[in-house]
Amino acid sequence: MTRRTTSPEGQRPARRGARASQVGLESRTRAWLRHHRAMCLDSARRLAKRPLSSLLTMLAIAIALVLPSGLWLALDSARLLDAELDESATVTVYLDTRLDESATMDVAARLRDQAPVAGARLVTAAEGLAEFQQGVGLKDALASLEDNPLPAAVVVTPADTDPDAVRVLASNLEAVDGVDEARVDLAWLERLRRLAELGQRLTLALAGLFGLGVLLVVGNTIRLAVESRRQEIEVVTLIGATHAFVRRPFLYSGAWYGLGGGVLAIVLLTLGGHWLSAPVTALAESYGAHFTLPRLGLGGSVLLCFCSTLLGWLGAWLAVGRHLADIKPR
Amino acid sequence: MIVFEHVGKRYGGRSEALADINFRVGRGEMLFLTGHSGAGKSSLLRLIMRLEKPSRGRVLVAGHDLDRFHLSQIPYYRRQIGVVFQDHQLLFDRSVFANVALPLEIQGVEPRESARRVRAALDKVGLLYRETALPIELSSGERQRIGIARAVVNKPSLLLADEPTGNLDPQLSADIMRLFEDFNRIGTTVMVASHDLALITRLRHRVLRLREGRLVGDEEAA
Repeated sequence: MTRRTTSPEGQRPARRGARASQVGLESRTRAWLRHHRAMCLDSARRLAKRPLSSLLTMLAIAIALVLPSGLWLALDSARLLDAELDESATVTVYLDTRLDESATMDVAARLRDQAPVAGARLVTAAEGLAEFQQGVGLKDALASLEDNPLPAAVVVTPADTDPDAVRVLASNLEAVDGVDEARVDLAWLERLRRLAELGQRLTLALAGLFGLGVLLVVGNTIRLAVESRRQEIEVVTLIGATHAFVRRPFLYSGAWYGLGGGVLAIVLLTLGGHWLSAPVTALAESYGAHFTLPRLGLGGSVLLCFCSTLLGWLGAWLAVGRHLADIKPR
Repeated sequence: MIVFEHVGKRYGGRSEALADINFRVGRGEMLFLTGHSGAGKSSLLRLIMRLEKPSRGRVLVAGHDLDRFHLSQIPYYRRQIGVVFQDHQLLFDRSVFANVALPLEIQGVEPRESARRVRAALDKVGLLYRETALPIELSSGERQRIGIARAVVNKPSLLLADEPTGNLDPQLSADIMRLFEDFNRIGTTVMVASHDLALITRLRHRVLRLREGRLVGDEEAA
């Protein structure tokens, strides 16, 4: 084969090899980038040529993405709620009813000095009765009692809200002289935690399953695309195309499907959020809590799109790899 | 350029498609491969293109033992060979120009350089004026010439053709053969498989004769 040399390289034979390989690498990189750009645009054009079927594929991906990401959002907001609840984890310490007022103050002070206590509020027997009357609406019944049957109580806020630590603290407090009983109501808090953990695992499992679903949807679509371009694949393989070259347009198609699915999923999540926000806020308010549905935000949206694009690309990669092996030039 | 040493090829459990084939082709030679359909012409070409491996013996092309190629090297090897098919294998969803440019696109040739070479190849086969046409608009003779333009656009050192004149009338066939002779004249090794004996004998090149998978004749150019 003859190769024409254009200019000064011929005059400097000593440095020609190095120059040539450098130029070779540079132009190869340029060619590689050029082909990537061309295939990126070409695959987008192919998708746009059949808008309905492309949209349906993207919608299928979006639906598969909405459930796990919606659950993830809900869980995230549950964590916020959980943090708020942590603050309300308290130990109620009931004092001996036989203590007089100064002894009560003494015991309360001693409780306050216990090691992992963040704060302690004394509720005297009289205050307790007043609160009780207000809250329960038994004003008349209680008024008929001669003596105040309620003990004085100290509401202790633990420094460490871990359930085990709180339980240890309660038994320590119970050992203090003049204390009748220390009561912790942690069961519901623990139940909530377990529920949150369950939700987390469920979300992960669902994300795994639906991620697999996205792979299958993209894989199947790409399989059909490979089948419909079979002749082209055979021809380019015959004239020296590498596997990477053949695979490239399909990988871009997969990535586009994934990206489109991700964007549609964000749209669906936003619409769903709007639709649910009014009743959720109203429900929370009826419990006296302030709670609004969390939004995906910019970071979350970018992450979702990135993951879905990656899934689309991966699905295409698996499908093309699987079917290229079947296509052999005749 | 091409060396076959005791090459045999067997497909599955059937009888041998090729048996004990021995021949050498020098660089810059032009030769025909002939025989009835089923005699093993296509199998032989497929071995040279490294679409298949021989069951026995070895095939060397341009000094490379084709058996030793790693799978990832095969595409680069194929780029050195131009192939013309009986059914031309053009892509119908793109223009004549894009079809001829395909090998250059695969090799990553710069677009401007690529366009220059595509036009040169189209000019050579006399179809420059049809560069924007779609293959569907062309006659079968024209399609075959486009197939040839695509095969030679990256200046391969070896040009293979499998029944390139199979569907053409004698006049068009002669034109196609003349094109091959032109490429051979500038140094390309050309190997044409054909069963058109009348045409082959008129052209006076070396002829390899196959019958039932065996090489039964190797007649030097007259």
